[in-house]
Amino acid sequence: MSKAPTAFKRIMLGRPMSSGELEHTLLPKRLALPVFASDALSSMAYATQEILIVLALAGTAALSVVFPISIAVSVLLAIVITSYRQIVRAYPGGGGAYVVARENLGFTAGLGVGAALLLDYILTVSVSITAGGDAIVSAFPELASHKLGLTIALILLVTLANLRGSKESGRLFAVPTYGFVLAMYALIFTGLVKCIGGCPQAASADHHLDPVSGITLFLLLKAFAAGTTALTGVEAIAEGVPVFRFPQSRNAATTLGVLGVLSISMFVGMSWLTDRTNVVYEHGAELTSVAQVAEAVYGRGFMFYVTQVATALILILAANTAYTGFPVLASILAQDRMMPRQFRSRGDRLVFSNGIVILAIFASLLVYVFDANLTQLIQLYLVGVFLSFTLAQFGTVMRWRRTREPKWQRSATINAVGGAVTGIVLIVVIVTKFMTGAWIIILATPAVMFLMRSIYLHYTDVSEQLADEQRRPVDRRPGNQHMVILVSTVDASVTRALGYARSARPSSLTVITTDRAVHAACRGLARDMEIHLLEGRGPIRPRLKEYLTSRRSELSDDDFLTLLIPEVLQSGSLFEVLRRPGIHRLKGWLLNEPGVQVMDIPLVKQEIDPYADQAHEPARNYAIVLVAGVHNATLQAIEYAETLRPTDLRAVSFGLDPAETEKLGTSWLAAAIPHPLEIDDAPFRDLGRSLLSYIRAFEPDGHNTVVTVVLPEFVTKKSRHRILHGQTALIIKRHLLFEPGVVTVSVPYHLER
Amino acid sequence: MGFLSELVDKLARRPEDIRAENLRHWINTLPDITPLSEASARQRHKVAGVIQNIRIDPRTGRDSLEATITDGSGTLIAKWLGRPKMSGIRLGAGLIVEGVVGTQDGDLVLLNPEYELVPGPEHG
Repeated sequence: MSKAPTAFKRIMLGRPMSSGELEHTLLPKRLALPVFASDALSSMAYATQEILIVLALAGTAALSVVFPISIAVSVLLAIVITSYRQIVRAYPGGGGAYVVARENLGFTAGLGVGAALLLDYILTVSVSITAGGDAIVSAFPELASHKLGLTIALILLVTLANLRGSKESGRLFAVPTYGFVLAMYALIFTGLVKCIGGCPQAASADHHLDPVSGITLFLLLKAFAAGTTALTGVEAIAEGVPVFRFPQSRNAATTLGVLGVLSISMFVGMSWLTDRTNVVYEHGAELTSVAQVAEAVYGRGFMFYVTQVATALILILAANTAYTGFPVLASILAQDRMMPRQFRSRGDRLVFSNGIVILAIFASLLVYVFDANLTQLIQLYLVGVFLSFTLAQFGTVMRWRRTREPKWQRSATINAVGGAVTGIVLIVVIVTKFMTGAWIIILATPAVMFLMRSIYLHYTDVSEQLADEQRRPVDRRPGNQHMVILVSTVDASVTRALGYARSARPSSLTVITTDRAVHAACRGLARDMEIHLLEGRGPIRPRLKEYLTSRRSELSDDDFLTLLIPEVLQSGSLFEVLRRPGIHRLKGWLLNEPGVQVMDIPLVKQEIDPYADQAHEPARNYAIVLVAGVHNATLQAIEYAETLRPTDLRAVSFGLDPAETEKLGTSWLAAAIPHPLEIDDAPFRDLGRSLLSYIRAFEPDGHNTVVTVVLPEFVTKKSRHRILHGQTALIIKRHLLFEPGVVTVSVPYHLER
Repeated sequence: MGFLSELVDKLARRPEDIRAENLRHWINTLPDITPLSEASARQRHKVAGVIQNIRIDPRTGRDSLEATITDGSGTLIAKWLGRPKMSGIRLGAGLIVEGVVGTQDGDLVLLNPEYELVPGPEHG
C-alpha cells in the first residue's frame, strides 16, 4: 500500500532519471519540429485575424489588404529563417539570442536580450493558451462565460506535461502539431477546390463596418506589425540546438527550413482564403477568423469541429516552446550569475523544474490580469521577439567577422540583412503598438535588466569576498575550541552533549540555562564544570546575546565559540519541528551572531542509549565537512572541524555536475588542504538521500560512534540577499535531525558587504 | 488485481535498480569485460564501470586517488598511489581498468591499474 503514493507520482511525472540519461532525451528531427515549431506554426491560427482587426478600423473595404500584407510578412519570415539557418550553423552549442549577444555585443546587450526573452516566453504562454481558449470557445460557445478559468486550467495542464520532461513532451506534442498542419492544409485545399466555381462566403461576409479611420500609412504599418506575430517561435529552434540529435546544427537548420516552408504556405493560404470568403472580423467577434473560414468552407459539420480542435490543441501546446526555452534560458542566465542559482539545476526529471513553475505562475498572472483577452495580450508581445532577433543577428555578424570561416562574407551578409530588416520592424512594432500596451514591456524590460544586473553584482561580490586572501582563515589548533551547552531541561540529550563536548577536549566548557531548577539539577550532573545562570526574565534572546557577546570579547579571533543545543525529539516525524517553533527560530537567529557556531545534538526518543544517564564520551567521532567549492567559508569549516579532535576528518561533496567534480578536485589539490576529499555521486540529484546513505555507512549509534556533519554557511549582510543563495544547508539539517547519532554544526562565514 | 499490483510494482521500482539494469546492458556491449560480480581476488581481470565516487588524499605519505566504479553488478575501487592528478577523472565517466584484483576492507581494489576513460553509457 505504501507504494501507492510513489506510483502515483511516477504516473504523473515519470520515474526519476539519472543525469546521464540526458542523451536519451535528445530529439530526432521529426519530434524536434513539433516541440520547437509549435509556437511558430500556431501563430497562423491568429496572425491573419490580428491583421483583420487593425484593417477593420478602415472599414469593410480595407479588409482585402490582408493578402498583400500577409505576403509582406511572409517575405520577412523568409528573410529571418534564412538568417537563422546561419546562426544555428555558427552556434552548434545552442545559439540562443542571449548567448550570441553576450558573446559578441557585451554584457549589457546580453542582459537586454536575456530580459526581453524571459518576458517574451511568459507572453508566449499567455498568448498561445488564451488563443487556444478562444478556439475552444468558438466551437463550444456555451463555454464563453468560463473562459478565464478554462485558460488557466489549460496552463496547469501544460505545466504538468512539462514537468515530466522533454522527450515524452516531444511525442505528446507531435500528434497535435502534425494534426494542425494537416487540418490547415485540408482547409486550404478544400477551400481552393470550392473556390473554382466562386468562393463560399463567410457568415459575416455581408456584415458592414463603417470606417473610423482612413487607409493611412500608419494603419498599414500597424496591420503589418500585427501580422509579424507569425514570426514568433523561430528563435526557439536556435535556442534548442543542444536538444537535437547529432549532427545538431545540420538537423536544426533543416528543421528551420521545413518550418519556413510550412509557415509561409499556411499563412499565405489562410490569408488568401480569409480574403476570398470575405470574413469580416472585428474586436470581440464570437468566432475566430479561422473558425469563420472553416464554417464557410465546411459548414458546421464534422470537419469544422476537427479544425477547431486541432487549432485549440496546437495553441495550447505551442506554449510548450516557451516551457522548453524558458527554463533553459533561466539556467544559462543563472550560470552567468544573472539569475538566482536555484534556477541552475535540473529537478529529478532532468528538466529545470524551478523555471517551469515560475513560468507557469507569471503566465497565469498575466492571463488573469488581462482577463484572457487575446487582442490586449498580443499588444505586449513582439517587442522582445524583435529585439532579440535584431541583436542575435548583428551579434552573429560580429562573430563571422572575427572567425572568418570559409564563405563567411556570404553568411555575414545574410545575417546583416536579416538584422537590419528586423531592426526596422522592431521600430515599427514599438511605434504602432506603444500606446496600446507595448509601453508595459518597454518599461518592464529595463526593470528586469536592472534586477538581473543587481543579482550579477551581488554574486560577483560574494565570490570575491569568499576568495579574499586577507580574510583567509588562519590555522587553528584543537585548543582553540570553547564550548557552551544551552540547557532548557535536563534529559538524556544533555548528558549526550556533555559526553560529546568532553571528547573534543575544549579549552573551556560551560553549561548555561535560564531556569533556576535546571541550574540546580545541572550541578549534580557535572561537578567539575562551570554552570552559568542567565539571570533575568522575559525572552531568552537578549540574555543569550549578552552572554555570547561577553564571552566572545574574552576570546581571541583564532578561537571558536560553539553553542551546543541538546534536544530530545519525540518521534521521527517532521511535526516535531512544528512542536517547538521557538528553538528553530532561535537557531536561525543565532546564525546571524558573529563568531558563534551552532551545534545540534538531537536524540531521538526511540534510540536505545545505555549511557543515557551519564556523560559518556563517544569512542569514534567521524567529522564530515560538506563542501561545494574551495573558498574561505569551506576553509574555515575545515579549521573548525580540526578543533573537534575527530577520529577521522574528511571533506565530502555530493551531486555536482561532472565537469565541476574535476574542477573541485583540482582546486582542492592546489589549495594544499591536508585532508582527504570525497566526491560522491548523487545520480538522482537527491542530496538528502545520498548524504544519509553516506552517513549510515559509518553506523553511528550516538553513544559509541558519532558522525559530525560540518556545514559551512555564508551569511549575507542583507537579509533580502539570502533568497539568492540556495537553502541547501536548511534542507540538509532537516534530513539529518532525525538521524540517530548525527551531530550537525553550522559554521557561518559572515560576508562583510 | 494481479495486473494492477504488478503495474504499481513496476512504477514504484527504485530508480537505483533501473540504473543498475542500464549499466549491466552497457557492460555487455563492451568487449572482453568481466562483470564485477564475477571478478575474484588475486586474478587478472579487465573490468569497466561508471565512476560514482572519487577520493583524493593529499596527505603526505598517503597521496592517492581512488575512483569507485559500478557496473550494476558490483563495485570496485581503482586506486593510484603517488601525487594525485585529476585528468579526466570525473563522476559519471566510464572507466575501463585492467589488473590483478585485490581486496581492501572487503572491497575489490585494483592498485595502480592501467586505465582507459570511455564515454559512460549515460553520455554521448
